[in-house]
Amino acid sequence: MRTYQEELKFIEKSSPNCWHIKKGFVDNMKVDGYFYANPSLEKLMFDELKQSCNSKGFGGFLPGMKQIANVAALPGIVGRSVGLPDVHSGYGFAIGNIAAFDVSDPKAVVSPGGVGFDINCGVRLLRTNLHLKDVSSVKEQLAQCLFDHIPVGVGSKGIIPMTAQNLEEALEMGMDWSLREGYAWAEDKEHCEEYGRMLQADPSKVSSRAKKRGLPQLGTLGAGNHYAEIQVVEEIYDQYAAKKMGIEFKDQVCVMIHSGSRGMGHQVATDALVAMEKAMKRDQIDVNDRQLACAHIQSEEGQDYLKAMASAANYAWVNRSSMTFLTRQAFAKMFKTTPDDLDMHVIYDVSHNIAKVEEHFIDNKQKTLLVHRKGSTRAFPPHHPLIPVDYQLIGQPVLIGGTMGTCSYVLTGTEQGMVETFGTTCHGAGRALSRAKSRRNLDYTDVLSALEQQGISIRIASPKLVMEEAPESYKNVTDVVDTCHAANISKKCIKLRPIAVIKG
Amino acid sequence: MDEAEENEGRQLEKGEAPLIPPVQYEYLDHTADVQLHSWGSSLKESFEQVATAMFNYMTTDYSTVEMKEVHEIEVSADDLLSLLYHFLDEFLFLFSAEPFIIPRVVQITEMDLDNFKIKARGFGEPFDIAKHPQGTEVKAITYSNMQVHSDSPTHDVFVIIDI
Repeated sequence: MRTYQEELKFIEKSSPNCWHIKKGFVDNMKVDGYFYANPSLEKLMFDELKQSCNSKGFGGFLPGMKQIANVAALPGIVGRSVGLPDVHSGYGFAIGNIAAFDVSDPKAVVSPGGVGFDINCGVRLLRTNLHLKDVSSVKEQLAQCLFDHIPVGVGSKGIIPMTAQNLEEALEMGMDWSLREGYAWAEDKEHCEEYGRMLQADPSKVSSRAKKRGLPQLGTLGAGNHYAEIQVVEEIYDQYAAKKMGIEFKDQVCVMIHSGSRGMGHQVATDALVAMEKAMKRDQIDVNDRQLACAHIQSEEGQDYLKAMASAANYAWVNRSSMTFLTRQAFAKMFKTTPDDLDMHVIYDVSHNIAKVEEHFIDNKQKTLLVHRKGSTRAFPPHHPLIPVDYQLIGQPVLIGGTMGTCSYVLTGTEQGMVETFGTTCHGAGRALSRAKSRRNLDYTDVLSALEQQGISIRIASPKLVMEEAPESYKNVTDVVDTCHAANISKKCIKLRPIAVIKG
Repeated sequence: MDEAEENEGRQLEKGEAPLIPPVQYEYLDHTADVQLHSWGSSLKESFEQVATAMFNYMTTDYSTVEMKEVHEIEVSADDLLSLLYHFLDEFLFLFSAEPFIIPRVVQITEMDLDNFKIKARGFGEPFDIAKHPQGTEVKAITYSNMQVHSDSPTHDVFVIIDI
């Protein structure tokens, strides 16, 4: 094993906000690794590396930099393995890691670890025409009303009636199912990646175990870092783009929902990892880390996974649509009007954990790539054919959920991002402290009272764990967003701050 | 068990519930997720402990879980790491879908390390958010830096679970 000083020889600053991980940092690297960081974020990355050099292989975990490099060693990877400013150690891929594989290369792989367990975990932003002063006096009741409407936390069950047959249809149809059943508006679909439905979904490729986990959980928020927040606009950086999104004034009220595919997606990923272990032995695919289980894209296992993943992605959109429905009901009830009159449109809905077939330029040649985005967000530039008509001139809206009690951002995609990061930017703050350390160092009552002092209402299923999600446990989201802005892989558009948080 | 048949288990008779063993696990620092570390006088004990460690994370007051039912699981695998993986995954599934069981005690009744097979029982009850203070949701078991030190006198086991 190399010492920390020896490891550092492979890491070099390539631009003010970007570091280069050279080949040789781990075995078999086929392309170079890069990660984006400003001075305070890069310290966290190097600390992780130092810590792992000290643990000498007993316990411990792989640092993010090693994981970015291990991904660069996967067969068929093209361009570079990229870590975004919120990158941190995950399992297999780092969280905040992007890698693209050439679909035409028979050796190229798809890896469930490059998508993550929470398939199509993502963020959705709804706007309203309400002003902060319309909600201030009823904020507590509104938070309670949302909490009563949306089931949260471990072990909670959905309230939207579902049968096994409904679930099959939802897996196949995604938001078209929500629309047909009356849970979504037609316009909602327009403002979603893939229009809320991945067409390659095939529910017959989803195991009965996954369906059994998914059925009772549809329309539930989940736990961990998932939340629903009532937010207000704090700052508008780009008036024109904000106007296109229906954001007209400071203190305009919005609702942000962060959730994913629940047990359905977790089980699809688990099943695929097991199936791919076998395929790897058969096809003699070597990887540096067992959690990087993968299969050739064109193999049966690879295709089955992509079809099951698409089904789980559809589930996640139905899930967020169901909670959008519940949110609209809660607001309508509270303000004794209709969601329509409150102008509660979906601004956009982004996916954090997904693999998609896209066209990109590699060495000036157009290529069809399977782009894995894990803990990162697609950020397509203006005029890209895959973004909705409404946003053609401004670029794709990118929704960055902050941490509880801090701020969130709306960004837009850029041409530079298309060149450097496969049209991708950060997804959130990214953890800095481990959950165990948060538990030791922070007291949940302090965290709750700090939120109260900031005037943020909170409704939470497990208050004793609130310190795990405290802002101190995360990287500073403003650092992350500013680094992306400075590197010009996305542009700042709107800043939002929370006034009420609903969590698991 | 590929088919999604329900694991019905059975109600415990009076006095049948086992004693609760001492805690031989801890939670280690991991940026994103949680690393479980358990130990014991045998590998069997370390495995039982690491499963308990996982369930303890799902409620903030594990003492509210009563032993009313017992459910059996059975797993087989290709090697030691995948045995541990499937053992935990099977228990996670018991919790994550019908019958939603959270065990208070996990006992391995058969452990065959030559053919990588385990039979185990979980003593607990269905998770009820009205009774059990909600903890954190475990999404999945991972192979990430999974370690089983079978030769160490304390039989240390390390597993990272995805939160």
